Amino acid sequence: MTLPSAHPYAFLALFALVAIAFPLLLLAVAQLWFRFFQPPKPSATKNDVYECGVAPTGDSWIQFKAHYYLYAILFLIFDVEVLFLLPFAVTFTTLPAGALVAMLVFILLLAEGLVWAWHRGHLEWK
Amino acid sequence: MITASLNEYLVISGVLFALGFFGVLLRRNTLVVFMCLELMLVASTLALVAFSRFNGTMDGNVFVFFILTVAAAEVAVGLAIIVALFRLRQTIQLDELNSLKN
Amino acid sequence: MSPDYTGLFQALRPETSLLFGALVALGLDLSLFRRHTSGERLNLALWIGALAVLAAGAHVWFGPHGPIFGGVLILDPLAVATRLGVLALTLLTLGVATAARTPRNPAEYVAIILFATTGFMLMAAAQQLLLAFLALELASLSLYVLAGFDKTRPESAEAALKYFLFGGMAAAFLLFGFSLIYGLTGSIELLEIARQLTLQGLSPLLVVALVMVLVAFGFKAAAAPFHLWAPDVYEGAPTPSAAFIASASKLAGFTLFARLLWPGLRAAAGNVSTLHGAPGWLPAVAVISAVSLLLGNFAALAQTNVRRLLAYSAIAHAGALLLGVIAAGRSGPAPFFFYAATYGLATVGAFGVLAVVERTGSCQKITDLAGLHRRSPLLAGCLAIFMLSLAGIPPLAGFFGKFTVFAAALQLGGLAGPAGWLAFLAIALSALALYYYLIVLKQALVAPPTANASRIVVPTLARFTLMAAAGLIVLFGVAPSLLLDLF
Repeated sequence: MTLPSAHPYAFLALFALVAIAFPLLLLAVAQLWFRFFQPPKPSATKNDVYECGVAPTGDSWIQFKAHYYLYAILFLIFDVEVLFLLPFAVTFTTLPAGALVAMLVFILLLAEGLVWAWHRGHLEWK
Repeated sequence: MITASLNEYLVISGVLFALGFFGVLLRRNTLVVFMCLELMLVASTLALVAFSRFNGTMDGNVFVFFILTVAAAEVAVGLAIIVALFRLRQTIQLDELNSLKN
Repeated sequence: MSPDYTGLFQALRPETSLLFGALVALGLDLSLFRRHTSGERLNLALWIGALAVLAAGAHVWFGPHGPIFGGVLILDPLAVATRLGVLALTLLTLGVATAARTPRNPAEYVAIILFATTGFMLMAAAQQLLLAFLALELASLSLYVLAGFDKTRPESAEAALKYFLFGGMAAAFLLFGFSLIYGLTGSIELLEIARQLTLQGLSPLLVVALVMVLVAFGFKAAAAPFHLWAPDVYEGAPTPSAAFIASASKLAGFTLFARLLWPGLRAAAGNVSTLHGAPGWLPAVAVISAVSLLLGNFAALAQTNVRRLLAYSAIAHAGALLLGVIAAGRSGPAPFFFYAATYGLATVGAFGVLAVVERTGSCQKITDLAGLHRRSPLLAGCLAIFMLSLAGIPPLAGFFGKFTVFAAALQLGGLAGPAGWLAFLAIALSALALYYYLIVLKQALVAPPTANASRIVVPTLARFTLMAAAGLIVLFGVAPSLLLDLF
């Protein structure tokens, strides 16, 4: 069977329709279930912070250390480096020697950044 | 297989750019504003890739590599500024930053 | 055509020496000089930075010329002159930094100044959209960091955030404009873009691209109505950073802007010489220029903070510089280069004076300068030269800068078209500008010092820097051909 050759995006509309209708249906069923079988009974334990296996202490709204962000950035630098190394590696055999020098300079600059962060103690968890 | 035409890519890229722009103008939380800025950059990368494909040259794709790098650098600097500001002012809401007016 | 790496490395020697200087400054600071006081570390870093800048200058002077690496870089007279100008302004900024409060991480401060300079150097020579964007971003990101470098003052961080948000938006606009230009012409080389654009007319997409690029440069150059960040950044940033943002970045930015517009988008220029001009980017630039001139000059009148006053005067000067860019199509880049370079000298000098005054206490209000002629005659004299040059009083360099830009604009079509009217407006507003510069000078030269004001001791290097800036302004005012002969 072939689809009728309507607009090429017709199936997208159909898809969107189903995608909206399906969760709505499930939500409606859940609402009905809640209405008839599970009237709300709030308690202190139910409103507690979720913790897996241990008794929860304190609030769940805590501030994360800004230090995390430094690690993320350092990771990001070398993550992005790959973006340039991969095309370079793929075409490596056809490139002149100058390209290799340029790439070495690039990596040297990144490494210098890492050395700097290391010496300044940014890699130590305080 | 359905392929989109250049115009469709451009429309989406324009919509993304506009979303980012209005986000920058209207949102008051610095971090959200920041994400909207990134959205504006990403909108341009979409346009570049689409043009690159329809022009048949690689320049646009290479451009995108560099934009991703610039975006990463921008995130680093931007977050550093936000962290420094939060340490001093305990807020990152834009409408509470008014010490520079007379 | 195989890429010419040898030529590229030769042409990039100035940038290499700047980067090398930055890395050496960082390395020595981390290893040998770890235990020294921050004042000693600052001095070491500044000397290394100054040496790197001088080496870069020598490489620019004796280096290759012409198109490099298949036209990605162009080392024409404008590029060489801008590079030398940027290096000179960087050197003066380093001199200003000797007088200012020592930052907490001195080596990093100098290294980031050198990184920004590298960005400016590439901006001066970029002839391809990708390189132009990367150079602009390298410079901008470094400047955001410099604006927020003083981690003890909330104003500094706030200035950095505002600068960052506006600058980031400008970068996104620029990029979107670039992507549309690439889409229309299929190339990111300026010369190829120019060739393609002469074949096609002014399409709607090209108009969108032009608007985006103009908005972006309006933000970066602090031209009205995109100027909102400038007063806050000038006020909040550490003084040497503000000097750097106001001088070297202006010069490099306008060179990049003019190169992008005139050789690149000349086909879409339009016409503002006559009353019924053709549409294009010229009328839009003319409008931005007029708004900047009006808003900058009138808002500067109302300022009580000397830094905000300098910021609004910078907006007004951006308007005049845009007029120079408009005229560059006919008269070449020499007028606006002369204007931007001498404006940069005067601004670095003015901020340098503020940095020295700041050693004895806050220097934000205009009245903080009261009695400067008693507290330090040298500072007062230098400030007078800088302010009068900004106002355009002969025989200082600012006068000749204004004169050549306005003359070039009037040559476009006399008073028959918007360009001529704009020049006329700018001349009229110069008289207004003189008033607010004189308000500053009245405090510095006439008003008596406050009771608890002490004499100001000017450090040797700062004294040398200020005298060099003032001397150059007088020199270029008396003999402008020294700069103009670079073209």
